[in-house]
Amino acid sequence: MSAFAEFEQEKQQIDAILAQGYTIAAIQENLDGALLHFIQASSHAERTQLQILTADARKYVTTLLFARQTQLAPG
Amino acid sequence: MADLSTNLAGIRSPNPFWLASAPPTNTGYQVQRAFEAGWGGAVWKTLGDPIINTSSRFAAVSFNGQRVAGFNNIELITDRPLDVNLKEIYETKKRFPNHAIIASLMVEPKQEKWHEIVKRVEDVGVDGLELNFGCPHGMAERGMGAASGQQPDLVEAQTHWAKEVATTPVIVKLTPNITDITVVARHAVRGGADAISMINTINSLAGVDIHTWNTIPHVGGQGAHGGYCGPAVKPIALNMVAECARHADIGVPISGIGGISTWQDVVEFMLMGATGVQVCTAVMHHGFRIVEDMIDGLSNYLDEKGLASVEELIGRSVQKYSNWGDLNLNYQVVARINEDNCINCNKCHIACEDASHQCIDMLTNADGKSVLQVREEDCVGCNLCSIVCPVDGAIDMVAIENDLPPMTWNERQRTIASLNDAYNVEVM
Ligand SMILES: Cc1cc2nc3c(=O)[nH]c(=O)nc-3n(C[C@H](O)[C@H](O)[C@H](O)COP(=O)(O)O)c2cc1C
Ligand code: SF4
Ligand code: SF4
Repeated sequence: MSAFAEFEQEKQQIDAILAQGYTIAAIQENLDGALLHFIQASSHAERTQLQILTADARKYVTTLLFARQTQLAPG
Repeated sequence: MADLSTNLAGIRSPNPFWLASAPPTNTGYQVQRAFEAGWGGAVWKTLGDPIINTSSRFAAVSFNGQRVAGFNNIELITDRPLDVNLKEIYETKKRFPNHAIIASLMVEPKQEKWHEIVKRVEDVGVDGLELNFGCPHGMAERGMGAASGQQPDLVEAQTHWAKEVATTPVIVKLTPNITDITVVARHAVRGGADAISMINTINSLAGVDIHTWNTIPHVGGQGAHGGYCGPAVKPIALNMVAECARHADIGVPISGIGGISTWQDVVEFMLMGATGVQVCTAVMHHGFRIVEDMIDGLSNYLDEKGLASVEELIGRSVQKYSNWGDLNLNYQVVARINEDNCINCNKCHIACEDASHQCIDMLTNADGKSVLQVREEDCVGCNLCSIVCPVDGAIDMVAIENDLPPMTWNERQRTIASLNDAYNVEVM
């Protein structure tokens, strides 16, 4: 599979979890990539995890968070 | 025509082109001919404690037909008496009062030795001093040159001793044979250096003769490490100049040295923070007259850029040089092959296939002709294909608008850390 296709697959998995109302709560980087911890935005009770492998997916997920944080940042 | 004159820590020169302390500045005869040819300044071949040179002392590395891509030497400082050198410096200065003459000095790391030589050379009217803490061979074994230049405290102390008696500006010439040149540069500044110059030569062995098994060069069958310079060292020198130029605690003018052979090289060094440059190998290879092209080229360039003075170039690219962690991870370029210019040599395909990301496809077009095409979504923009392509304009590296916010590695790591801080870590 091409590198782009591998990334696309992981991006779709991330987007699908987010579309179910989860938000990214934590990121644990490991030798294989990163383990993403999601929590349900409404209840905070439901949790799920996704191990991502590709560099582009790791960049994608942090870009989402970075954009959110910089938007939230005062000033 | 733009003004080419420079002022390095008070040393004025009609242009930024100086000869580095080396064989081309060995005698008054040579330096005067260099000034006639157009050189703005000269750093005299290093004066100091008496030495004896070996016969067979230079070697060069040629690469793919390019002679002297790198140059290697085991020569020491001047072997001529100090008095003779001083007389010639005096005469040269009298003939060329507006040119810069800098005396390069190297003595044992003792206060009285520095005091003695500084006083003697300043008496004949030099415009400045350059302390040679860089020579990597011979002198180093006697505790001078690179041996003291690798010890920050000795650099500081010796600079201080020279400054105690010097009445002209003191430039400290640094050795590149060290892990972090900014450490030594900072100590030179602490010792009172008015300017720094870099680089001296890099420890090297030019080669081994695979037939005789002798080193290149060898002295009757024995070799010793030498110092490397010439075009091959330019990227190393340029980085060291840039690292010093952007360091907040250094802040003194820089004389850039190392692999400079063209006016374009000079522009690069000045953009990266050098106030002027020094040249050795290119003159040893091509003679004094290369300065004519340098002067013409630099003048035309400044005129084209609409700059009135060469000093307007100094440091203009320094703020563009930062740390890897501050580069934008979301910046994206991809390779695009221009079929009109491509000669179908296949080098890009092989490079990408064997050494990068396997994203240049070989296709056949409607006319049955084989064409190469980049799968842009898989291209990481490494530049390798455009580096190996022999045809200018056959591969463009194109920046892609991706609407992503600029995000550096450091920002990314901070983002992850603050996210994780806010989360209940027990589940992790
Ligand atoms: C044969 C030779 C002798 C040199 N002698 C000296 C010297 O006496 N003092 C000194 O400070 N540097 C000396 N250098 C170093 C040069 O001044 C310069 O720092 C170095 O060659 C890098 O510049 P380049 O790439 O233009 O040659 C010498 C270099 C060569 C090749
Ligand atoms: S830039 Fe690198 S990855 Fe992209 S096509 Fe060229 S060699 Fe391949
Ligand atoms: S290396 Fe350049 S010229 Fe050769 S096939 Fe690739 S694009 Fe064409």
